[in-house]
Amino acid sequence: MLVGTRSADLRPTGRRAFGASIDAEQRIATLFVPACGAERLLANLQDNGHVAATFARPMDSRALQIKGRCMSVHESGVHERALQDRYYAAFSEALLLLGQQPKLLRRVRYFPSFAVTFRIESMFEQTPGPGAGRGVALGLP
Amino acid sequence: MIKLGELQRCFGGVLPAIISTCSADGIPNVTYLSQVFQAGERHVALSRQFFNKTSRNIVENPYANVELIDPLTLQIYELDLRFERSETDGELFDTMSTRIQAIASQTGMSGIFKLLSADVFEVLALHEIEGVLAPPGPDDDAGAELGPTSLRTELRALSVVTERLRRARDLEELFCLLLDALHGELGFSHTMLLLPDESAKRLYTVASRGYGDSGIGAEVGMGEGLIGTVAVSGKTLRMANLGGQLRYARASGRAADATSEPQKFPEIPLPGLPDAQSQLAIPLLAAGRLAGVLTVESRSSLGFDQWHETFLEVIGHQVASAIETMMLRAEAEETLAVARASLAPTPKPALEKRVLKLCFYRNDDCVFVGDEYLIRNVPGRILWKILRSYVDSARTDFSNRELRLDPGLGLPPVKDNLESRLILLRKRLEQKCPELKLLPKSRGQFRFETSCTLELVERDSA
Repeated sequence: MLVGTRSADLRPTGRRAFGASIDAEQRIATLFVPACGAERLLANLQDNGHVAATFARPMDSRALQIKGRCMSVHESGVHERALQDRYYAAFSEALLLLGQQPKLLRRVRYFPSFAVTFRIESMFEQTPGPGAGRGVALGLP
Repeated sequence: MIKLGELQRCFGGVLPAIISTCSADGIPNVTYLSQVFQAGERHVALSRQFFNKTSRNIVENPYANVELIDPLTLQIYELDLRFERSETDGELFDTMSTRIQAIASQTGMSGIFKLLSADVFEVLALHEIEGVLAPPGPDDDAGAELGPTSLRTELRALSVVTERLRRARDLEELFCLLLDALHGELGFSHTMLLLPDESAKRLYTVASRGYGDSGIGAEVGMGEGLIGTVAVSGKTLRMANLGGQLRYARASGRAADATSEPQKFPEIPLPGLPDAQSQLAIPLLAAGRLAGVLTVESRSSLGFDQWHETFLEVIGHQVASAIETMMLRAEAEETLAVARASLAPTPKPALEKRVLKLCFYRNDDCVFVGDEYLIRNVPGRILWKILRSYVDSARTDFSNRELRLDPGLGLPPVKDNLESRLILLRKRLEQKCPELKLLPKSRGQFRFETSCTLELVERDSA
């Protein structure tokens, strides 16, 4: 999963996120972005709050993108760590299949991280192909 | 200061990159990017296959941000880019297009996935993200996974392989020495060598390592899949993270087989690792003409590096020249040999009791031994000619020259690949019908031997 932001002069910045939670009823998403290298992303959020997040399923490349405005950013706490651990376990499993070394995978620092929470305002098809970018009805309660 | 050239592994496409763009009204967009191409020291190129949101944003606002991951070290790099131009032809476009065509063809998506343009961006800044990895622990061998192959080792291996190839006296020996050297010196344990057939519409496997005997004679159409695409484009393809795409294509093939009528004259399946993660295919070009395609597969996504590609291209040039030279020499020597040799029929050998039934189907030049498919096309016609001569007039000695001059075999007048066709025929006989032997006698001459009584039947079709 990915998070994209932009600066005041419309320069974009994107990072990988490791774990997310969605409150469908409230249309609120929280993504966890590793602290290392997150400076520009955090500055952009503080500046204008515009955020995009893409979720992709590796087995068939099915992907969706949601967009909205940032509500809050905080350093993720220990109680939020389990969710990130679960996501990273699945992520590293995929890398193991590609031949990556387990010792190296254990050294990846996805925590400490920042929890970026935003209100979902729109959703788009992101699966590769001619339909990518098409608006999708939110379909949330 | 990191340079783009130091990020070669990131450009291999093993791990997808990320691209972020922003519309003119300030809405960011972020998505995966299958591959980033280096286009000089300060530029990268991105493939545009559809005019999607990323493309629209670039038109409105030329700035983009790309995150790359080194698949070996997991180090992350961030590139700030500014769109410069779109290319729809030229070397860069062709290179990128070939790669996309190969994947499209392999997955049955030709004509759907195609390159619209190679979008070239200037790299405004390149940052290494610090702190991505925790420091290595006492049990971690931090540098072990990097282990760059030394130039000295590469040159030694190149020298050894070259020296071995020089020893080859004929095509069969050349193919054998090549694949053995690639295995022995470089550890390439899954290799194939394919040559174009007389029609120049298909390639057939004349030698392989690591796939058992199943692959000899396997065919692929020009332009089909990775190998066929390399043959048509004349460009090397180094593909990583093949797993998903190839599994999909092969699974589709299996599903189609399961639902369709069984083929009366089955094709030999192209050998390949069902779980291949990376593949390197090199066109063998001599004087601009395709002499063959050499392929190497690996179960690791990190199987092949830039130096493997360069190394095999150097070897490929030598092999292509050797194939051309040997074919021309064989033709010249055969002419000489025919002038000297007597082609008088030899006495018919005493017939053994065992009867071998062979059938030739005229509609597709296919030879069956018993109920089992043996060979078809030109090698099939050659075999049938030999068998007919043996049964009808007890001939056992044959020359390449007479085969070349026989219009019924359908060989082209020049560069007919006869030598390699005979190698293929000999190998198929060894595997599928060892009772029939084609034994080299002298340059351009061979003897047919069998201990069986042959019963030949010809049919229009099955």
